[in-house]
Amino acid sequence: MNKEIILSLTKRLVTSIVVLLLMLSFLFVLLRYSPGDPTQKFISPKLSSKLVLKIKESFGLDKPVLKQYQSFLINLSTGDLGISYTYREPVTSVIGRYLPFTVIFSSLSFIIQISLGLFLALYSIKRKGSWIDTFIKKFSLSVYALPSFVTGVLLVYLFSWKLNLFPSSGLKSFDDQSLSFFGQLGDYTSHMILPLITLSLGGIAVFYKYLRDNLDETFNAHFVMNLRSYGVTEKEIIKKHVIPNSIGPMISVAGVELGILLSGALITEVIFGLPGMGRLAINAILGRDYPLIIGITFVSGVLIILSNLLADLVRAKLDRRIFQGMIN
Amino acid sequence: MNIYNFKRCYMKKNLFIIPVLLVLITIFPSCSKKSSPVSNQVIVGIDSDIESLNPLFSFSGYENNISELLYLKLVQSDWDYENGALIYKPMLAKSWKWNGDSSAITFYLRDDVTWSDGKKVTAEDVVFSFDVYSDEDIQSKLYDTFDNFLLDKSKHIILDKTFEIKDPYTLTIKFKKNSNPSFIDVDLPVIPKHIYDKLDRKKFITLEKDITPVTDGPFNFTKWDKNQAIILTANKNSFLYNPKHIQKIIFKIVPDYNSRLTQLKKGEIDLMEDVRTDDLPSLKSLNFIQISPLPEREYDYIGWNNIDPEVFKKKKKIVPNKLFGDPLVRKALTFAVNRQEIIDEYLGKYGQIAFGPVAPIFKKSFSNLTPLVFSLDSAKFYLKKAGWNDTDRDGILDKNGIKFSFSFYITAGNPRREFASTLLKNNFKSIGIDINIKKIDLQVLIPKLFAKEINAWMLGWVVGIPLDLYTFWHSSSEASQLNFASYKNNMVDKYLEKYENVKSEKLKSELAKKIQALIHKDQPVTFLYWIQNLIAYNKRIQNVKITPLEPIHYSWNWSVNK
Repeated sequence: MNKEIILSLTKRLVTSIVVLLLMLSFLFVLLRYSPGDPTQKFISPKLSSKLVLKIKESFGLDKPVLKQYQSFLINLSTGDLGISYTYREPVTSVIGRYLPFTVIFSSLSFIIQISLGLFLALYSIKRKGSWIDTFIKKFSLSVYALPSFVTGVLLVYLFSWKLNLFPSSGLKSFDDQSLSFFGQLGDYTSHMILPLITLSLGGIAVFYKYLRDNLDETFNAHFVMNLRSYGVTEKEIIKKHVIPNSIGPMISVAGVELGILLSGALITEVIFGLPGMGRLAINAILGRDYPLIIGITFVSGVLIILSNLLADLVRAKLDRRIFQGMIN
Repeated sequence: MNIYNFKRCYMKKNLFIIPVLLVLITIFPSCSKKSSPVSNQVIVGIDSDIESLNPLFSFSGYENNISELLYLKLVQSDWDYENGALIYKPMLAKSWKWNGDSSAITFYLRDDVTWSDGKKVTAEDVVFSFDVYSDEDIQSKLYDTFDNFLLDKSKHIILDKTFEIKDPYTLTIKFKKNSNPSFIDVDLPVIPKHIYDKLDRKKFITLEKDITPVTDGPFNFTKWDKNQAIILTANKNSFLYNPKHIQKIIFKIVPDYNSRLTQLKKGEIDLMEDVRTDDLPSLKSLNFIQISPLPEREYDYIGWNNIDPEVFKKKKKIVPNKLFGDPLVRKALTFAVNRQEIIDEYLGKYGQIAFGPVAPIFKKSFSNLTPLVFSLDSAKFYLKKAGWNDTDRDGILDKNGIKFSFSFYITAGNPRREFASTLLKNNFKSIGIDINIKKIDLQVLIPKLFAKEINAWMLGWVVGIPLDLYTFWHSSSEASQLNFASYKNNMVDKYLEKYENVKSEKLKSELAKKIQALIHKDQPVTFLYWIQNLIAYNKRIQNVKITPLEPIHYSWNWSVNK
């Protein structure tokens, strides 16, 4: 069995590497042929066209695309993603500065989305048909329909401007170093509340919807009635049978959602001035910073693949049939 | 049914929420403090992070502002309101003396300036700075701009023939023969030789992380939280230090405009630039906010390609544009643009009709010409005079079988230009011209303009200080890449060449006026309006100097009301 698992994981790893390589190659070519010029921002109006060529040369953009691609592949194989045109630093160190925040922020939001989605679904299903169930259903739909830039601005207006409860942007206060450990923790928390709500609301609604429908269906399944007739306690039925049978599809969604979250939450990061991968990505795109765009895509791709793998492993853990499917 | 049991067994689970809530409730009050500005610091809200603290590569406006606060220049620019011109004041150099024919200048440096690591700033640092800024391997922001110096083939300043260090605080700079040097030639932040000299010049551009900001300016570098804030603290060893002035200036990065505005209203930031006119009523209702317009040096214009883009692309030949090659047509098009309506809609009293490339701030060079007033009848008249008629009665003018129809490029995401282009489309339609508006990214538009491959576009310029007309209006493509419209008038070229070489300010002003008159006659582009950018700041900041230069300029003189 262990051999089968290793073989299955190796297959998956190879497929993932091929997918990543294809994606990066496609992006590499697309960037080279898309309009826009990364050297433009470094060129002052008075500079001669010779210098423009010199700047292109320093970026390696004077060579044919095929040659550029060859050196890109060679560098990639050694883990070198190049030097960012904008930051004049290795791409890996630029990403390394922004990734930790995104990982923490996205993970927190993900935990909130899953736990609140689950809580609301259970709360709603046990009051099935009541006004509160109907209210949560309708409200979650409205929340899902609300774009995050509207939610963010509304939250800032209400909680920051009108009630003055939370800071409107940033990760921490400028004087945070003068605070105690708990003070700093509180400072971070107060800065993160509104962004977390903004980022999580849509996801909570999605998870709620998936779970509530699945719970409803499983609750009325024949095998559940069967279990009851055998005298299995309700607690055990829910814990061991209803939830595991209901959260399968949700875990797949969660895998995709986690991957997307880890790639950065652009709108939330812009509204609240947070230093995450989303902002880094958009700045890299606007500045035509080719190595950085490719680096970010690479990291995002890896994170999406990993989160999907994680989701599959969780599902396999919950359901042996899926595990068999994975191996086969 | 089972729901009852369900409820019971999950009631316990719900209990976990209570301690979480308790923790949050205890944390929140401690952090939800009211914004109370710290008395001796000022927070400036900016929309994007800087990319470098290194003055060699400070390309953006903010990077320049910050590097000016960290690194001293030999002389400091200021604005002379009376004459509408740039003047220079002592800074690292306490005085100077030009030689008889203004071909050399001797600077007498202050002997009380030290780098933040304690080393003295001397003439060696100044010479080293010129050496580095003009080094081809480094590609600094100023490379290839030292035209008045003696240069080698790689455009590097020939140091031994240019600089003469008499003592650590006396330095003579000799300029090239027959050149026209001015203080602009020495207007660069001086960098510490003992730090930069250790580094490999060929790798300068990638050494951002390895270069410690050893500075000598009115502020010291304290902290740079990427994409969050840049914190500078007053340099107590600086001769510019005054304990009554601000002790800290923080540049807080708030990318979203509305968030910046909210923070200004809340007192979380003290100053922001580029305030939109539709936000003025809400800001004016707050008695602690001061709104100040910066004198106008930015304009929007409609560019008409004076040459045929297709012929230029295929054969690299210059032939007049089939639509816009005739000055009469361009004049007609200017008549058809209702500039006042755009101003009324978007700029109000902070806009004025533009008719030439010289900004009103250059009082002595600004010409008092009368702009062409919106008139569709005049537009029709000039178009007819130029031979454009609707011969096939399809509502679109034609001439020699060519329809007056073209694509018009604007940059996406600028509501003012989008409004202006819609207005333009409607006005042009009524005189028989069909335009197809295309919105594209600025990064895509600029290379198209350099390649001269499009017919018409709308863009804006910020007029540089000192006034530079040559780069934008001379017909030589090598010298003036920014003449996107490919405008050519031999007389204008002649005046521009003269303008570059004369020393007398009076003569320069006269030439500028002549150039404006010729450009006004030819209408190579349609100048739309001058824009006064608005800054809003908390009234607790004192001594904010509003000049055409950036408001941050001279911010070490700011103080705050307690």
